[in-house]
Amino acid sequence: MKHNSIASLFEERFCIFNLRSRKKSSVLQEMVRHLKAEGRITDEHFILEMLKNRESLGSTGLGNGVAFPHGRSIAINGLTVLFARSAAGVDFESLDGKPAHIFFLILAPSEKGAEAYLALLSELISLVQKPDKLEAMREARDFESLMKIIGGGGS
Amino acid sequence: MREEFRLLIALQDLDIMIREAREQSTSEQYRDMGFKLTGLDELVEAREKLAKKIPKALRNRYEKLAAHYKLAILPVTGDKCLGCFVKLPTSFFSSAYSSELLTCENCGRLLYIP
Repeated sequence: MKHNSIASLFEERFCIFNLRSRKKSSVLQEMVRHLKAEGRITDEHFILEMLKNRESLGSTGLGNGVAFPHGRSIAINGLTVLFARSAAGVDFESLDGKPAHIFFLILAPSEKGAEAYLALLSELISLVQKPDKLEAMREARDFESLMKIIGGGGS
Repeated sequence: MREEFRLLIALQDLDIMIREAREQSTSEQYRDMGFKLTGLDELVEAREKLAKKIPKALRNRYEKLAAHYKLAILPVTGDKCLGCFVKLPTSFFSSAYSSELLTCENCGRLLYIP
């Protein structure tokens, strides 16, 4: 999966540049409610339960201030990516113990296999491993700046 | 949506996650990306607790289907079963069935109107 195809998965309406929540469970809830408000999911309960279960399998906070909550459910219609940013940072039980500032919420339908999002996860992880990209993401205030970092060139 | 449908769907989501964590190729990919999958036992425990909340007859039906199919319960989103892609009877779309758990006459999967 190339950067330009990753960029095509992002939508301005699925971005939160100023997360209000400060706790792990409320951040998940804020992101899921955002998708519900945007009409992307019909039932936030299923998605939230699934994401909480995924976190109990092992935190998706990989360190360096980035977390990748993700999972599959029949309550999701298509591959969905939500980008969120927290200036203050959130204790996401990350592997390095540091607060998470950048979140990529990835949801996929159950009908598709895990490969539906594993390639995307892998590509996003490679992207944030580049210090300049990560720093720029932490400073991104709007969709256009985010797309320049990811490689989509903005809307 | 009736509570037992919600529980069944949550159970299926958990089963998918447990299956992924157990599958060697998937779990290796996760580990290569840096994810730790250390909570599998807790997840299995949560699955068992959730399963006990579902009426026994329905749970048994789900378990039998889940042994055969990756997805035992599916939403009705068109005029076909999303499991076997056989056309569903028009009676399924009557409001009388909107809160019922339906069964695909071809493959036996459980279907619900979301």
